[in-house]
Amino acid sequence: MSLLKIINLHKRFGDLYVLRGVNMEVEKGEVVVVIGPSGGGKSTLLKCINMLEPPTEGKIILDGIDLTAKGVDLNKIRQRIGIVFQQFNLFSHLTALENITLPLRIVKKVPKDEAEKIAIKYLRKVGLEEEFATYYPHQLSGGQQQRVAIARALAMNPELMLFDEVTSALDPERVKEVLNVMEELAREGMTMIVVTHEMGFAKEVGDRVVFMDGGVIVEEGKPEEIFTAPKHPRTREFLSMIL
Amino acid sequence: MVGIGQFDFNLFIKILPDLARGALVTLKFSSLSILFGLIIGTFFGIFRILKNPILPKIATAYVELIRGTPLLVQIMIVYYGLPAAGINLPPEVAGVLALSINSGAYIAEIIRAGIQSVPKGQMDAARSLGMSYAQAMRYVVLPQAFRNILPALGNEFIALIKDSSLLSVIAIAELTRTGMQIYAVTFNAWTPLLGVAMFYLAMTLPLSKLVDHFQKRIGGHESP
Repeated sequence: MSLLKIINLHKRFGDLYVLRGVNMEVEKGEVVVVIGPSGGGKSTLLKCINMLEPPTEGKIILDGIDLTAKGVDLNKIRQRIGIVFQQFNLFSHLTALENITLPLRIVKKVPKDEAEKIAIKYLRKVGLEEEFATYYPHQLSGGQQQRVAIARALAMNPELMLFDEVTSALDPERVKEVLNVMEELAREGMTMIVVTHEMGFAKEVGDRVVFMDGGVIVEEGKPEEIFTAPKHPRTREFLSMIL
Repeated sequence: MVGIGQFDFNLFIKILPDLARGALVTLKFSSLSILFGLIIGTFFGIFRILKNPILPKIATAYVELIRGTPLLVQIMIVYYGLPAAGINLPPEVAGVLALSINSGAYIAEIIRAGIQSVPKGQMDAARSLGMSYAQAMRYVVLPQAFRNILPALGNEFIALIKDSSLLSVIAIAELTRTGMQIYAVTFNAWTPLLGVAMFYLAMTLPLSKLVDHFQKRIGGHESP
């Protein structure tokens, strides 16, 4: 059984139709890379998966649980789905360490000293030494902030990680350090859905590439198929413009 | 000879302890009222932005009602009006109640603006980690909102210190009333009233310096 199943997902914001029937399955341990032009619904898709944006229509099924059903404890479910945002969204009034310990303590009720141990462990994992623990977000570079954000999501021990254009707001020389962390994570077997414009990452790390445009999945397949022999003209047009 | 020439330095020295006592009463009433106003204002400020059919309307009505009527009238309604409805309050309680309800309305607007000044991504991030709406508000949004609105709250406190002079109409011996009483006994207006003004300044000036300080600190503290 697949870890995540998206069935006929629609999302409308007033008159704006962003998703028009998306179907997708993600296996455990799979890395799915979602590419496509801006406004194609990629970010909205991620926000629907963890129900930050409730779908207008359709089902999101995680590990057999329909998240769109009434009475589902979304606060519980969201602990199983980590998300990292383009704008980092670190809590600006808290240090790097506290950013990680706060959700552990108030959501998972982990005692303070244990939460701090976990936080340090994950900061190390994303390549940040202990000295950064006491830094506030505005004292860190974009790449460091984004790695703290990844550590914060990982510390909740999620089964699925969503990455929403996490390198788009970074200086070019900072992109690599974040991609390396994600690559490492993929190698360890984390199930990931990655929305990105980094085609190198898509080719090397992705198990499957999904091309989205106009609120639907236009084409999907193995990276080598999509990048060397795209079937759909819109995929070809998009790839010719960015490669 | 009338005018500032009437200022009597010996009298001034003599009434200083009385004025200081009045200033303390003013400070006590303003502090209690800003505290209760903050509690009221936090709730109503949050009510205003909730996606709920009733609470935002109630909060808006409260804010409009209070901001659209004079504080003096509100104080008199609480002190003279409520007894007619069978509720008798000592002047101190009526005073704090009226001031708190009044400042609560202004603070509600400050809090609402403060919450809206926190980027939406903060709420998204908090919810995505499994926090409930209330937890996200309490631990993530409100602390940042309060940091952003500290200058506005400081200004509200300054306004409240000055507005509390209206409590003199319900016989609370705060600073202004103390000055008026001295005038009534000595028939010297300039000495006690200049003293009163001086004590108000002694309270408000340091506060506005503090507000400036916070404002500068926030200016240098960009949140993402």
